[in-house]
Amino acid sequence: MSIGIATFSAPPAPVLGRIPGNKAIWVGIYCELTEFALMFLVYFLARAHHPEAFRDGPQQLSTVAGVTNTVIMLTSSYFVARGVMAMRRNARGTCLKWLTAALFTGIGYPLVKFFEVQWNVAHGLSGNGEVFQMAYYYLTFNHLVHVCWGLLGLLWVMARTWMGAYDATDHDGLEAFACYWHATDLIWLMIFPLFYVLP
Amino acid sequence: MHNERSLTLAWLVLLGLTLIGGVVGNTGSPGLWVTVAVAAMMAFKGRVVIDHFLELGGAHPSIRRLVRFYAVALPVMLILTDLFGPQIAWLTTL
Repeated sequence: MSIGIATFSAPPAPVLGRIPGNKAIWVGIYCELTEFALMFLVYFLARAHHPEAFRDGPQQLSTVAGVTNTVIMLTSSYFVARGVMAMRRNARGTCLKWLTAALFTGIGYPLVKFFEVQWNVAHGLSGNGEVFQMAYYYLTFNHLVHVCWGLLGLLWVMARTWMGAYDATDHDGLEAFACYWHATDLIWLMIFPLFYVLP
Repeated sequence: MHNERSLTLAWLVLLGLTLIGGVVGNTGSPGLWVTVAVAAMMAFKGRVVIDHFLELGGAHPSIRRLVRFYAVALPVMLILTDLFGPQIAWLTTL
């Protein structure tokens, strides 16, 4: 593994140069990455213009909520990856169990977000025009929308798996959803430190 | 089985780093080296997700390179913003 981690190795690629899932999902993922890249650009410019607001900002947020949602995203992503691996063995029932676990874990994300917003408002973070709060609400609410779309997609691939639409040799749709879910996870891993971790 | 073990280990490493991030968020004090450490953690976690969850190691180069670049570019931009914040603010003031 080129990153130099001795503890574990990258999984071997089934076919070199392949497009995981399908082309359409990668058009969608490129759009998602571009959308968030523009929002991250706004974040960095706002941080350059208002360093004090961004230095003090993370202390106003609930670190517990940020960590909990990161654990939820990572765990749900892991369950989806296990589901894809099960489908590659043609273990459809096992795949459905992993996807069900991913759904119930993933539903925790909007729930935690709901309680986090309640907590924010109670602590005076109502998005009233302060630059850090605006950047925080803008980026995290957009991400929440993407998570909700992902949960709907997860329901769809669960239904397709249940109906027997996928097998070990043909499960591009399942893999396409997995790519979207992991990309949404990746974006959260960029958002989390910018708002909750950086002192 | 090897892939599943590797994936599980990657997930556990990511969870561990997330908890460390939470501790830094609660106890860390501002400084360039803290920013560099947080940026390095962002890049590392991104790369682990890209390699183990997205499995882009053998994917088409245009997909693999772009997504890997994304997970490096954002942490680098974070460091540059903290290093050259006043200059960036001056350049982007109308």
